[in-house]
Amino acid sequence: MTGMSSFLESVLDPYYIQVLILLGIYIIAALGLNLITGVTGMFSFGHAAYFAVGAYGAAILTVKYGVPFSAALITGGVLAALAGVVIGFPALRLTGDYLGIVTLGFGEIIRVIFLNLKITGGAMGLAGIARDTSIAIVYILVLVTIYVMYTLQNSRFGRALVAIREDDIAAESMGINISAYKIKAFAIGCFFAGIAGGLYAHLLQYINPNDFGFAKSFEFLCFVVLGGLGSIPGVILGTAVLTLAPEFLRSLSDYRMLIYGALMMAMMIFRPNGLLGGVDLRRLIFKNKYEKQAGRGTAAGG
Amino acid sequence: MFEQQIINGLTLGSVYALIALGYTMVYGIIQLINFAHGEIYMIGAFTGVMMVTVLGQGFFGSIIGAMIVCIILGVLLERTAYRPLRKSTRLAALISAIGASIFLQNAMLLWKGPQPVGFPQVINDAIYHIGSIEITKIQLIILVTSAVLMALLNYIVKYVKIGKAMRAASQDYDTASLMGININSVISFTFALGSALAAAGGVLVGMYFNSVAPLMGVMAGLKAFCAAVLGGIGSIPGAMLGGIFLGVAETMGVAAGLSTYKDAIAFTLLIIVLLFKPTGLLGKPIQRKV
Amino acid sequence: MRKKSMILALISLLALSLLFVGCGGEDDSTATTAGSDEVIKIGFLGATTGGHADFGIKTLEGMKMAAEDLNKEGVLGKKVVIVEEDHASKQSEAANVVQKLIHRENVKAIIGDPTTGITKLAAPIAEDNKVVLMSAGAVGPNVVNTEDGQLREYVYRNTLLDAVAAPAVVKFLKEEEGWKKVALITSMNNDYSVGLSKIFKEALQNEGIEIVAEESIQDGDQNFAAQVTSFKSKKPDGIVFTGYYTEGGLFMKEVRKQGLDINMVGGDGLLGSTLWELGGEAVNGSMVYCGFMADPTMAEGKTKDFIDRYSKEHNGELPNMFVAQGYDAVMMIADAMKAAGSDDPTKFKEEIKKLENWQGVSGTITIRDNHEPLKSPVYLLEVVKDEEGQHFKVKAVIPVKG
Repeated sequence: MTGMSSFLESVLDPYYIQVLILLGIYIIAALGLNLITGVTGMFSFGHAAYFAVGAYGAAILTVKYGVPFSAALITGGVLAALAGVVIGFPALRLTGDYLGIVTLGFGEIIRVIFLNLKITGGAMGLAGIARDTSIAIVYILVLVTIYVMYTLQNSRFGRALVAIREDDIAAESMGINISAYKIKAFAIGCFFAGIAGGLYAHLLQYINPNDFGFAKSFEFLCFVVLGGLGSIPGVILGTAVLTLAPEFLRSLSDYRMLIYGALMMAMMIFRPNGLLGGVDLRRLIFKNKYEKQAGRGTAAGG
Repeated sequence: MFEQQIINGLTLGSVYALIALGYTMVYGIIQLINFAHGEIYMIGAFTGVMMVTVLGQGFFGSIIGAMIVCIILGVLLERTAYRPLRKSTRLAALISAIGASIFLQNAMLLWKGPQPVGFPQVINDAIYHIGSIEITKIQLIILVTSAVLMALLNYIVKYVKIGKAMRAASQDYDTASLMGININSVISFTFALGSALAAAGGVLVGMYFNSVAPLMGVMAGLKAFCAAVLGGIGSIPGAMLGGIFLGVAETMGVAAGLSTYKDAIAFTLLIIVLLFKPTGLLGKPIQRKV
Repeated sequence: MRKKSMILALISLLALSLLFVGCGGEDDSTATTAGSDEVIKIGFLGATTGGHADFGIKTLEGMKMAAEDLNKEGVLGKKVVIVEEDHASKQSEAANVVQKLIHRENVKAIIGDPTTGITKLAAPIAEDNKVVLMSAGAVGPNVVNTEDGQLREYVYRNTLLDAVAAPAVVKFLKEEEGWKKVALITSMNNDYSVGLSKIFKEALQNEGIEIVAEESIQDGDQNFAAQVTSFKSKKPDGIVFTGYYTEGGLFMKEVRKQGLDINMVGGDGLLGSTLWELGGEAVNGSMVYCGFMADPTMAEGKTKDFIDRYSKEHNGELPNMFVAQGYDAVMMIADAMKAAGSDDPTKFKEEIKKLENWQGVSGTITIRDNHEPLKSPVYLLEVVKDEEGQHFKVKAVIPVKG
């Protein structure tokens, strides 16, 4: 793994590496959110909070207790999943926008708690974190995440989640225990946010609660919706476009964020289902195989 | 001191309520969380400042000017950012709203810079004593103005034809349009009403705290949205109740020494209420047809 | 099918455009690397957009003035070029900017960030890449050294440290103003404020001044009625306010509104005209300490030249502390380069350590053995209202000894 990292570091300049690592981290977090919002249809406006739990969890473990990076990373992910379960139990009784606003509320509460705790360094932030995150580790984890998500979505579990999204009453009457499935999906999504958070902390080497506010939660949501809810390639594309856009727009200096906002509106208006929403890549690639069932395909794709 | 904090809380709460009304009315009809609403409030406040400094208007001039500008802006926003997405998923419209919010914030940052601007003094502040309670003239004006505006809104929604159409559309969108109600103009009118109230809220807050800044709409908008959900989103009296409840609770929390947790107070309350009454204090239970 | 091909076309277009822009950037960087022998690039790290843009914009103005002055003769026969990038106060973007400045722009030194948090984020990156980072604004702890006390070789700052200034100011307030009881106000989501409150608390205890109330606020708050109401009855002699001017001005407004006639003192976070633009008459008498104050009647030598030139270029506006410190930061780097006879950071960083009684436009700076600057004097300013309107006036100049 270190060999691969040093190879990549020798061909790419560190600025690219920095941006690409950040992109990889955001992809992992966004794929987690995609399972919650895209596949299962639960609104979560507080994803940055689980990202923060993972970041602080992993960073505190490596900095204050000398835990190895890999163990800290996984613990951070587990802590985030636990936070997801704790929040999910009461919140998942709600649906739609109500669930959204409650997750947003929990997100802000977690941020405010981090701001007031001693072990997190409060508003002074947590510094002195080692830069253990390398491009190879991140992209291996990206691949692992994609594999897990793909397998999940195409399993019995994943189909049950889609059924819940499409019609939860019908799903329940088919014998799916919707609460259990929802909690599991929520916990898995949060776990990946936590892993991403741990990587983020060990990339930036300094974290501060104000960086994990609702603005970041909405950023994650934008990655998922803009790319195409439920579509793994879509989420990756959406994350890439929105993470790289501010870097490419940097030359516009002061007009940067103005254009970013306008871009978001325009993309939604012209592609309301997301860039890759309703597009099945397999169908595009193996066109002939699916050509025979074209009638059905177009209906689903529309 | 307790009564004093109640007055402080009521003042804050009535402003939250003014903003929350815009969220709740829009949500009631098209089920959209209009995230750019906080920015309308912010632009209302800036317009208020400019009415005074550039056009030399007084209190009423600045409120009315801000309302007019924000009505135009609100209707324009609906036309460009939301109308094309009316048939799409709700998340798509939500992202478009977030985009609009980022756009408007940064437009104002570019124009006015990040530093807060003071609100010119248009009212000579005075303190009135009622028993042990002190109430400032500005607080009184905020309370009276919000009460008048809310009464006016209530009248429009209950007795004026377009208001009745609004209620019909929020009851059942499709049936209302089959009954010959022009849904597009009803939605435009709803945005206009909501924006006018937010503009008034902006000007009042600007005067009260003597500060207007491009990022002021973010937290205020979020809190007001909380107030709307707390009261039961879609319900007009709910938004009023939610706003006042939140304002008083937040002020009390700060007075009790919880100010570091201030932003969490609103959300904690919201969560507690929603867990027991999943559709808010005055919200109607959701009827699901199978 | 038409729709699908359209989508495919769209995606490939997007991918292409991304690649294109990426390559465009690459070309740009090779061009600059080639040119880097004739110029010395100094990077600016700060926000020129977003909520904290004011600090960044002013620092940048000072840096550009310094580059202009240096380029009359050049440094080591080369031109000084300031490279600016905005990070809008977002941490992930700030990390990208630091990497970009170091690896794409090949800067020899970075000036910034004006805030402690982002300086702490940039410090390990600069250290690892052996590029000098000179903060012209960070005042919090653990900037020039790591959390476990190890000195950084490439990170310095030229600011007046609160640990130096606050005790001097507290002593002054006790002896000259007769303060015995104070209320301490902290903005809890502001790392600067939290740190400063700690320093003030210790200084107040050392001088035997009683803290009768500790209230917390947040940056972005507009309503302070509850906090003022709760300490009103304890009758403090003064308020120690460690936050920024936006909240400071509004806070004093509330203090006066509730009929209290006491003044506030705070650090350079309160330094800015916003204080009275928001606070109005209520901030008259409020005190702020800082490391620099432009007073054309008192200034002399190069400080006076600096003030005159800035105000001529900015329609009579006087330079603030960030302009002066931004200017001095570039000058310190240039002097170190001249002394080392090299623009190689591994060489000229040694000369920065040796700076002693270095005369800048903002005061005298000595880099001590612990790499922290000792800056003298402390300016204690007071908001006054006279025929020129409201402004800061020097109330006392308190010299600091090492």
